[in-house]
Amino acid sequence: MSLIIDVGMRVSLILGLLTGLSVVVLSLVWVERKFLGRIQMRMGPMVVGPYGLLQPVADAIKLVAKEDLLSPWVDRIVYWIAPLAVFIPSFMIWVTIPISRDIVIRNMDMGLFYIIAFSVLSIVGLVAAGWASSNKYAVLGGFRAAAQLISYEIPLIMAVLGVAMLAQSLNLQEIVNQQDTYVYALVQPLGLLIFFIAGLAEIGRTPFDIHPAESEVVGGPFVEYSGAHWSIFFLAEYINTFAVAALTVLMFLGGWLLPGLSGGAITTVGVLVFFAKTYLVILIIFWFRGTFPRLRIDQLMSFGWKMLVPLSFLNIILTGCYMFYGWPAWLMSIISVTILASVFWLVSKRMNNTKKEYTVHIYKPESLEVKNAG
Amino acid sequence: MLGNLKGLLVTLSSMLRKPVTYQYPKEHKPIENRYMGFPVLMWDSQISEPYCTGCMVCVRYCPTQCMTAVMKDNPLHAEGVSKRRKIVDSFEINFGRCIVCGICVDVCNFDAIEMSHEHELSKYARNDNRSDLTRLLEMGRKYQEETDWKPKTNAKESEEEASS
Amino acid sequence: MVDQDINKKLDTVQMMVNMGPQHPSTHGVFRMVLAVDGERIVDVEPHIGYLHRGSEKLCEGEIYVQIVTLFDRLDYLSNLNNEMVFCRAVEKLMELEIPERAEYIRVILCELNRVASHLLFIGTFGLDVGAMTPSMYMFRDREKIQSMFEAVTGARMMHNYIRIGGIKNDVPDDFIHRMKSLIVELKKGLEEADKLLSFNEIFLARTKNIGTMSAKMAIEYGVSGPSLRASGVPIDIRKDHPYSIYDRFDFGIPIGEIGDCWDRYYVRLEEVRQSISIMEQALYQLPDGDTITPTRFLLRPPKGEVYVRGENPRGEIGVYMISDGTDKPYRVKVRPPSFCNLMTIKDLLIDTYVADAVVILGSLDIVLGEVDR
Repeated sequence: MSLIIDVGMRVSLILGLLTGLSVVVLSLVWVERKFLGRIQMRMGPMVVGPYGLLQPVADAIKLVAKEDLLSPWVDRIVYWIAPLAVFIPSFMIWVTIPISRDIVIRNMDMGLFYIIAFSVLSIVGLVAAGWASSNKYAVLGGFRAAAQLISYEIPLIMAVLGVAMLAQSLNLQEIVNQQDTYVYALVQPLGLLIFFIAGLAEIGRTPFDIHPAESEVVGGPFVEYSGAHWSIFFLAEYINTFAVAALTVLMFLGGWLLPGLSGGAITTVGVLVFFAKTYLVILIIFWFRGTFPRLRIDQLMSFGWKMLVPLSFLNIILTGCYMFYGWPAWLMSIISVTILASVFWLVSKRMNNTKKEYTVHIYKPESLEVKNAG
Repeated sequence: MLGNLKGLLVTLSSMLRKPVTYQYPKEHKPIENRYMGFPVLMWDSQISEPYCTGCMVCVRYCPTQCMTAVMKDNPLHAEGVSKRRKIVDSFEINFGRCIVCGICVDVCNFDAIEMSHEHELSKYARNDNRSDLTRLLEMGRKYQEETDWKPKTNAKESEEEASS
Repeated sequence: MVDQDINKKLDTVQMMVNMGPQHPSTHGVFRMVLAVDGERIVDVEPHIGYLHRGSEKLCEGEIYVQIVTLFDRLDYLSNLNNEMVFCRAVEKLMELEIPERAEYIRVILCELNRVASHLLFIGTFGLDVGAMTPSMYMFRDREKIQSMFEAVTGARMMHNYIRIGGIKNDVPDDFIHRMKSLIVELKKGLEEADKLLSFNEIFLARTKNIGTMSAKMAIEYGVSGPSLRASGVPIDIRKDHPYSIYDRFDFGIPIGEIGDCWDRYYVRLEEVRQSISIMEQALYQLPDGDTITPTRFLLRPPKGEVYVRGENPRGEIGVYMISDGTDKPYRVKVRPPSFCNLMTIKDLLIDTYVADAVVILGSLDIVLGEVDR
């Protein structure tokens, strides 16, 4: 009897999580389309429901009802497994992400480790999707995804490690509680930036949307997918976006903590605070999407290996020194900001970004009359 | 890095401005006066007959051969009501072929054909846009009402020119 | 060099990737068969002809007035420029005098069309490198130009407005007023694109030193227009052999330095500024008077042949026409700028990355309607 109750509890938890995440994804789709629309001076969806609020639902229904086209040359088993291999890890990490104090499905002591370990798995799905589709664009996209995701795991993990060192814990609850006095974004702006950029690359968002690049490999690993299978990739992508934003908030921006908020209210109001912060971070991700062009794969790799990886190691070393010698927190922030500023300056200098260098000349023949004579 | 920040500012500032969208099926972009939609035939409401005499000059000059016209003796002329000796019997324009160049209007001596403001002609079948005389005149009357259309040349002179 | 050594040791297999004719960023129905080694392009085989409509042959069966509508559809992004070059060819053959006012209106509208075409280029080039917002901004501004065309010519794209001997009808009364406000808006929109895209570091990384075309190579291939000027060759027919009334305006020719994708982009952006300056001057000088020299509708130019060239947004368009004295030309040959610019694609693409292929093709700014005719 107790076994049945236990299983029932678990299943209902999973279903609840799935439903919650689906709702979040639908809202994200709406927010993204609306926000991008406003950035581009459009209106975004307006027809289905008030302000197009039901547009994502309509899209979802359309996707599920759509015929699932299958090319005769695909490797069937791998082709069917690939979406799940992408979706399940992105779903699983939500087991341990808390949305407020004590509101979490399973509070793990190794929470961050678990999240990192699971999120890496989605690479397999992307490569499998690219390979099984028997499409050359998909293959290119799959390999791009593999290269990109693996190389950006390292700075991501290193940035996470910096936080873990500060908090002396891998438990997300604990990490947030540690940010009671000041958020880690103040101590580790460098870590925040590295985590955010690497996170963007992990979820394949602009300017790192290289594996699904529409104008180059026309959707990358997802070219051949349609209907419900495609929508699973889509779901995973948005869940990952939400996860990266949520992790940024939890690790660097104080999670559900808000100055002036204390006592029992934290648990309930904290949910709202957490979601507000997360959606703000997500809006920044969408803002980037509306502004930036896309990097090329080799530029992405060199940016990752030559800049982010050394910087993330530097961050770890700095954090270590800070912990070991007991530096004041403000010194850490100043050093971090200095490093950031010098990197900015170096990049600007490297790109030689001055208008003087980068302009075309306006050529004007001296006398028009001579020219006219000819 | 400065370029990136500038770009972010541009997108942010345009987010705060009003969208420029026209919500198309509900809200139409105003059509300019000169807009050339599909060619339609004009209706002479004084004598209640079409201006077109079926002289086929537009048919000959159409670059895509999208029109046909047939001429007949005008019964109203015999009664003395109308000054047109010949009148159009049947006229057909295939709007699927028409490229809206306006040459037919340029060559017409009777102000019988005009570029209307009609441009939303989606139909379900491929040949649903082959328009016969009735439909063309109907569209023409709609255009005449819309724009308060007046014939450009004196119809009388042209009438004589055609009959000669 | 190091890369190649690695490749030898790994002994990788080349993959044929069929880019186009149904690829979102081949700008129409252009097809490239790429042989790629990983991400690097080893060999390119361009295929054209998917949009071949036989325009040149069709011209032989149509009377001169009808041919103008065919020229509209060659380079469907700069219709008025095409119309103008054909009308100039017939006018040169018939030795027609064009009224002053018609010339000015022609120039204003052609420059406006050049602006529209370049705006579209900036937008789609942004899409090629992955930025989705510039295209929306540019379409917003282009829409204003289209509305202007609609008010003047009656059509948004296929105008059939420039006629042999002048223009179809005079501009509307509020033309100058509307043009002035349009120019102000265009300048604003262009600044926005400039700020958003031109000096963005990612954009620079994607376009600087990519697809570099030396001046020698450009001249040898017969590249013309902004793509040639980006390589540092100051050749512009409006300046070198001024046709129409281009010799009355004070404008510069933007030239690039090394002829990479960024130069080709920025030359076009700068050219928009010059075009706007031409329009301003022309609006200021716009005289009164007739707008067309009346000709017979079924006109028969004298026997003879003529070659006329003009500066299109994409480069030098040439029309070679033989008249046998009848109402239809004996032969019309068009030298399309896009086609000649496209020929460089093989040299430019080899040893670049797949992602660059899209950018380089975009930077050449081809219109398939003109390449295939």
